[in-house]
Amino acid sequence: MASIIRRGVSFMKNSYISSSARTIVTTKQLNIKELREQKDGSKLVIEGVTLPSLRAQLLVRAQNTNPSLVPSEGNIEKKPCYMCALGLDVKHTDVLILSQFVRSDGCMLPRRITKLCRRQQKKIGTMVTMAQKAGLMINLTPGNCKKDPKKRRDYKKFNTYFDEKTIFMKRIPDQSDKFKR
Amino acid sequence: MGLHKPIYHPMNDCGDVVVCINSREIALRGEEWRRRAYFHHTGYPGGASWTLAWELHNKDPTMIIKKAVYKAMQGNLQRRHTMERLFIYPGEKVPDDVLQNVSNQIRQLRPVPTRLDHIPEEEVQNFPKVMDYPEDYVLK
Ligand SMILES: [Zn+2]
Repeated sequence: MASIIRRGVSFMKNSYISSSARTIVTTKQLNIKELREQKDGSKLVIEGVTLPSLRAQLLVRAQNTNPSLVPSEGNIEKKPCYMCALGLDVKHTDVLILSQFVRSDGCMLPRRITKLCRRQQKKIGTMVTMAQKAGLMINLTPGNCKKDPKKRRDYKKFNTYFDEKTIFMKRIPDQSDKFKR
Repeated sequence: MGLHKPIYHPMNDCGDVVVCINSREIALRGEEWRRRAYFHHTGYPGGASWTLAWELHNKDPTMIIKKAVYKAMQGNLQRRHTMERLFIYPGEKVPDDVLQNVSNQIRQLRPVPTRLDHIPEEEVQNFPKVMDYPEDYVLK
């Protein structure tokens, strides 16, 4: 009996979702920050608007705060990324900084969006994982795990802290290093 | 203990003790909870046993601190007597006769980090930003 009811409920849910959700594919979907729908009379206008970022005013960049640290434009290929230029000592407990690199579902943003160098991307990605494992970013943690450490099982339920030195412990030596003593 | 007193002598009971509270809330580094093992031998053949740190902490939340202090001291005859002056409590509850003689507090070495959901929403939004999204990014 219960299975029949459950099946009926799931069927109703499916029909409801398929009818209500409309999938509209516009041509240049990537160049948009927000889709707006307007309805005047029988006409439905859907327009894509590129909105200014909310973070623009609060942005901290090294060339604004300390221009002497930034190298001149002569060597463009050796220009450090914005995180290296700032020279911040970020720890895994600095959740206010780490939460900027995370999507709302708790996933780390890819490098083509964060625009970091390889080393910083690795470092910040690992520190985000550390903060999530230590239970410091409960609202920004993937949904399939128990977010609060107190609700986790076995060894995961106790308090943990991390050492940032362990991120680059597995250093792959350069080919030129093997001749050095 | 009692090293600041002029009558101090290692074999002298100055009356000083150390009270440790909230030992259930200790934090270990990285993967220590499942990598650290505590060895015990009953003395009989095949009597060796290894207990992981999280298993030991489940059984007795005071044991890890006790063992850490015991290992850090010199292995002389005085060690067992000095250990008698360490009181460890898993929670905040301390007996009154111990609590009324507490005269000083040792600061904790590692401050407890703040959780992101305990910081007010306004402060999170007004915090200086380091990363900005590219022009064509769709917010998720
Ligand atoms: Zn960099």
